[in-house]
Amino acid sequence: MTHKGRNGSARAKDATKEFRLPAIEVRQGPSRTLYSFAVDGKLLSRFTTVSRVRRADGAAIRGYQRPEVLSHIAEIRDYLEAGDPMIPNAVVVAFDRRVRFEPGAASGSEGRGYSRVGSLVIPLDPDLAEADRPGWIVDGQQRIAAIREAEIESFPICVVAFVTDDEQEQREQFILVNSTKPLPKGLIYELLPNTRAKLPSLLQGRRFPALLVDRLNHDAGSPLRGLIKTPTVGDGLIKDNSVLKMLENSLTDGVLYRFQAGDREGEADVEAMLGVLHAFWRAAAEVFRDAWGISPRRSRLMHGAGIVSVGFVMDAIADRYRRHGVPGEEQFRRDLEPLREACRWTDGYWDFGPGIQRKWNEIQNTPRDIQLLSNYLLVQYKARVWNRAAEENLLAH
Amino acid sequence: MKFFFPDSQDLVDPSFDFLTEKRSETRIRQQHDEYPHEVFATPPYDGMLVSKGIVDGTGSDGGRYTIAQRQRLLRQGVRSFFRLEGRPIETMGDCGAFSYVKERRPPFSVQEVIDFYANCGFDYGLSVDHIILAFQPGLDETLSGLDVVPEEWRERQRITLELAEEFLRLHRDQRCRFVPVGIAQGWSPRSYAEAFGELQQMGYRYIALGGMVPLKTPEILSCLKAVDKVRRPETQIHLLGVTRIDHIPRFSRLGVVSFDSTSPLRQAFKDEKDNYYTLDRTYCAIRVPQVDGNPKLRRRIASGAVDQAEARRLEQACLGVLNGFDGGRCTADEALAAIQSYEGLHDERSNRAKAYREILSDQPWKRCPCEICRRIGIHVMLFRGAERNRRRGFHNLYVFHQRVQRESEGSPARGRRVGTV
Ligand SMILES: [Zn+2]
Repeated sequence: MTHKGRNGSARAKDATKEFRLPAIEVRQGPSRTLYSFAVDGKLLSRFTTVSRVRRADGAAIRGYQRPEVLSHIAEIRDYLEAGDPMIPNAVVVAFDRRVRFEPGAASGSEGRGYSRVGSLVIPLDPDLAEADRPGWIVDGQQRIAAIREAEIESFPICVVAFVTDDEQEQREQFILVNSTKPLPKGLIYELLPNTRAKLPSLLQGRRFPALLVDRLNHDAGSPLRGLIKTPTVGDGLIKDNSVLKMLENSLTDGVLYRFQAGDREGEADVEAMLGVLHAFWRAAAEVFRDAWGISPRRSRLMHGAGIVSVGFVMDAIADRYRRHGVPGEEQFRRDLEPLREACRWTDGYWDFGPGIQRKWNEIQNTPRDIQLLSNYLLVQYKARVWNRAAEENLLAH
Repeated sequence: MKFFFPDSQDLVDPSFDFLTEKRSETRIRQQHDEYPHEVFATPPYDGMLVSKGIVDGTGSDGGRYTIAQRQRLLRQGVRSFFRLEGRPIETMGDCGAFSYVKERRPPFSVQEVIDFYANCGFDYGLSVDHIILAFQPGLDETLSGLDVVPEEWRERQRITLELAEEFLRLHRDQRCRFVPVGIAQGWSPRSYAEAFGELQQMGYRYIALGGMVPLKTPEILSCLKAVDKVRRPETQIHLLGVTRIDHIPRFSRLGVVSFDSTSPLRQAFKDEKDNYYTLDRTYCAIRVPQVDGNPKLRRRIASGAVDQAEARRLEQACLGVLNGFDGGRCTADEALAAIQSYEGLHDERSNRAKAYREILSDQPWKRCPCEICRRIGIHVMLFRGAERNRRRGFHNLYVFHQRVQRESEGSPARGRRVGTV
């Protein structure tokens, strides 16, 4: 990943007095001028510094940047080291008046009057104290730190710069670039399955469950087809997040874990997982047909607590059949049937034991209620199916 | 004497790399992690104590188990969940009375607790108790008729006995397979003996003494002696949360057959100085906190009082030099200098130079034959992050268990299943 000469790093070695970087000057308004250029990210620290927020002698606030977020840097660093990385968004640097722009010879005829090419001349002085360097990083300190620490030779990065001596202006730009609204999670999850690149670990972990959600929502023959509400399936009934949670529980501790072969994501047996999921949810839709396919306001089965808790029943039934492989739709249906009369998805009261009664629609999508409902379903399943079957087995032999 | 290790989801991740400090991206918590009995060829305990309070989580503390883990434990049972199949480790279920010590009554019904024990398939189940957090042996001396014992203590003892009675009744009616263990709570030798006597009367032959965690050895002994006056020869005792292993032979003569304690593990990362055990002494672990993992350091960096880059440099230098020292490439003085420059930043009030010099000259991890020390070398001595700290805790368990075995040579109950009604 070396592009010496193009980004000026070669020249830096000969002349330590200044950097001359090919740049485009953009006039954005009567008093606003920007410069766009590329530079090896490893060299940025030679002429820029980070303005850390602090209180000078306990009085006025100085600087604006927070400390580096080391875990975030480590994520970017892993991405950079993983091979063929790309960082398309530019870092933002504020220069002081020591930096100047020299228009190139052909510059007059270019652009439409708002841009011209030339060179940005940045003074370099190795003896300068860090705080006296001509540039301040306004945006991109984590990316720059990651490039600095990554075990790669170099990494050219796009820079957009403006010239000012005013810390207030820097601070304003810092706030503006850092106050953008994050993407809605649902949209990210919907986009995730169609990505391959190395992603931050949190998203990386969600990519596989998101893929299953996508297949369950769109595959022909899926009992959940069109039922999962996502940004692009707006009339779905079940929240995408509820299905994600159900899947994640089973992937780490339930029947789907069995198909997480080996320790590489690519080896997980997606089709086998979908096979179990189709069989189970088809059986659940059949057994609880009065509560299936209607809005979560009218049925707690389609609600987060219902989906997640019934997901645990899937894992329980699969555990009961463990020695015989994975149960099919008919076995799921037979094992679910005795639970029908213990469930109050659409009316009545749940009887969670002495003194704990809940109206059908009082169950919320909270960890506490999910635990209460899951325990209840497991106890009922053990009593009505599992233990009874074990006793009959004993009697039969 | 049997040692039970209380579970608190203390596992280590075998994919953790001590040099890069990275772990496998596809690691699944608990499933891919290792318990002490999986790390060591010989398990460093005779049993595991699993508490309902920890499995369920209580109130604000969401609990150490995810709902998915909890459901799997209830479905598959304790032997499968803890991967104990084929290992000589017994299991004991408990309510975790410390988690509801502030409530007026235990939050579980006896039936719920029995269901938990039966569903999980424990070997032993402790009755539902309510801790009395007070020890006042002086109250035994007061004149009869002049009752100065706070009503709340009596109430807690009464609740504990009532629940124990119901526990035994349900246990019999439902023909549960686990061995029932009654819990005696008290505030003095005599009150413990009274509770013990009542439990024995109900039919318990295995009785645990609770609430003894804060007690000193002579206080525990005074209770055991009082209890011994009413104890039938066949009734056996478990000490809940007690670690005083130097008195194992005496405890044993007074009917104690088992105990449990988290302290070998906890001391590795909670104690001020006794972090690393050897058979005859303890060492202080070397503090090299993660720059962004140490709250105090993080605050000072955020406020601008400490330069983050400088902190990172000193931290990394420290790790580099300690690795070098373990490999014979750096001297003890160099290592000490690096440790101290970093200490000046993250803990300017302490100076552990003397303790550290001792560690670096003794190099106790090099003489320890345990799997942890052999595998990770000097990293076992570093007070830094859960992966190192817990492994040091595991090493402590290993040493602790050896000491228990040494102390209980010839003690009568070793290896035998006890308390069968
Ligand atoms: Zn060791």
